Amino acid sequence: MNVIVPKTAAELNYGLSLPHRKMEDWRWTDLRQLIDRPYPPHQTVVAAPKDVEQLLKSSPFVKVAGARMVFVNGHYSAEHSQLKNDELAAQVKSDESVIHMNAAFATDGARLKISGTADTPIELLFIATNADARTIATRNVIEIEKGASATLIETHLGEGSYLSNSVTEIIVGEGARLDRIKVELEAADAIHLSHAHFTLLKNTVLNDFTLTSGAKTNRQNGTVDFKGPGTDAKVSGAFMLGGKQHADTRLMIDHQVPRCTSRELFKCVMDDHARGIFQGKVVVQRDAQKTDGKQSSHALLLSETAEFDAKPELEIFADDVICGHGATAGDLNHDHLFYLMSRGISASDAKSLLIAAFVGEAFDVIVHEGIKEALVKFSNKWLAEHRRAK
Amino acid sequence: MLEIKNLHVKLADEDRVIINGLNLSVKAGEVHAIMGPNGSGKSTLSYVMSGREGYEVTEGSVTYKGEDLLAMEPNVRASKGVFLAFQYPIEIPGVATMQFLKVALNSQKKARGEKELSTPDFMRLVKERAARLNISPDMLKRPVNVGFSGGEKKRAEILQMAVLEPALCVLDETDSGLDIDAMRVVADGVNGLRSPDRAMIVITHYQRLLDYIVPDQVHVLSQGRIVKSGDKSLALELEANGYAEFESEAA
Repeated sequence: MNVIVPKTAAELNYGLSLPHRKMEDWRWTDLRQLIDRPYPPHQTVVAAPKDVEQLLKSSPFVKVAGARMVFVNGHYSAEHSQLKNDELAAQVKSDESVIHMNAAFATDGARLKISGTADTPIELLFIATNADARTIATRNVIEIEKGASATLIETHLGEGSYLSNSVTEIIVGEGARLDRIKVELEAADAIHLSHAHFTLLKNTVLNDFTLTSGAKTNRQNGTVDFKGPGTDAKVSGAFMLGGKQHADTRLMIDHQVPRCTSRELFKCVMDDHARGIFQGKVVVQRDAQKTDGKQSSHALLLSETAEFDAKPELEIFADDVICGHGATAGDLNHDHLFYLMSRGISASDAKSLLIAAFVGEAFDVIVHEGIKEALVKFSNKWLAEHRRAK
Repeated sequence: MLEIKNLHVKLADEDRVIINGLNLSVKAGEVHAIMGPNGSGKSTLSYVMSGREGYEVTEGSVTYKGEDLLAMEPNVRASKGVFLAFQYPIEIPGVATMQFLKVALNSQKKARGEKELSTPDFMRLVKERAARLNISPDMLKRPVNVGFSGGEKKRAEILQMAVLEPALCVLDETDSGLDIDAMRVVADGVNGLRSPDRAMIVITHYQRLLDYIVPDQVHVLSQGRIVKSGDKSLALELEANGYAEFESEAA
């Protein structure tokens, strides 16, 4: 017997179905419930220049980024960008929910072809100004050409109530290298949905890091397709969540070819009633011999009511591989706290030091010192603001 | 400086009594050695003085410079000048040694209403103190105690002591796990800190450390109380005869 579930207001407005908890991938993040009202797509919002300036200034990377490409409310802003869009067509077709929604509603996006060695980081900055609730969708296509090397920052900032859907396709060409740093600092009342799809060709290096600290609801998918042997991918992330924030990261690491390595490390800090979820799946296909894959997620729960769920999965079809995964969750180590306090450091400062140290381990994947410093600064600021009330 | 009167301590979540009527009086400028067999309560005494959780004082008092030490949080004790050199220094991944030392020193200075040290002044101070203890700049770059050998950890404790300049130093089995050369370095570091304003309590199982750090008084701790006190010759006596005499006496 088929039970007909009535469409929600948001689904009727979108004209499509939203994923819900009975779907295995979405068991912790029921978008049908969480998107509790329509966020109409394709809205035209004229942003006040001073709102835009304010948001541009609030990127943690103002001093670090060389060239920027700025998107205001889902549209390329020539005025604020130093880089022009290239001609690149989106390739990824998928019925995955976030991509499906993006295909229907995307208005614009970064299209970048990078050749040679880019010395300074490029920042793709996506900002949403305060306006009526709406969906803002962008589709980015990035190609790192054969032998090229780049550091790419993706920053998401905003004000007010909106749903941001961001899909990024990245191809890293043969022998190329990409360091990508994504920072999700959306508005407190925003919903952030994203999918990053990496295609890694032969002998490439990917260092990917995502900081998740904004939005009330966050779901980030990542797919890493190993398409050429000798490739090395590190995918790391940190959550810094408080209040009633909800963040769900789902990774799919797909080893299709031999002799590749993958490392995932996620360090998640949750306070108050925050909830973090890490779902990481590593697949080693039959031809992917000599794969070396390790994945771990660690959660630090700062309150009794914070929650963390981890779902690590390994699916191995090759016989000559090294693969492992681990997940831990706990509160601050009391011996560490006592040791710091016994040297004169207050309980509150000692906690902040330990939390910063815990999160900081995930920053180690970042090669660029200036970016790492900016993130350390952000995390210290978060701790100071967040823990002031405690 | 320190007055311990009739101290009784039990484990917080067990009924076991560890310190059982201990009395001790330490004046500024003095070095006291506390010796005793395993399980006599040596480490518990050091933890109770530094404020570690898990212990319950059921009777008695610990007065430090006229104040009730037991009523203070561990960080307050530290800023008032109490320092424990841990028997097993704790590894703290992700916290750089230099950052830790700087935050600790400036937290103490702030609590005492003194001017905080600037980064260059602080660096100079640490480098100078570290050199005396054969601590390499590389060690200072690592996270607190992480990957340090046993001897390096003990030297790092003495470095912290030399930087923080406490008034009352409690050294808990600082000699354990050290070879004779390492012990000499540590002892030199400790002796360099001896001063008329500073008191030290050296807790040890063996007499050998006391060849290098010569105490003014030696106390024998057995079953949670001091059963005999004397001058440095008592340590030699213990070395020759062992603790058997005191264990049977107390039982």
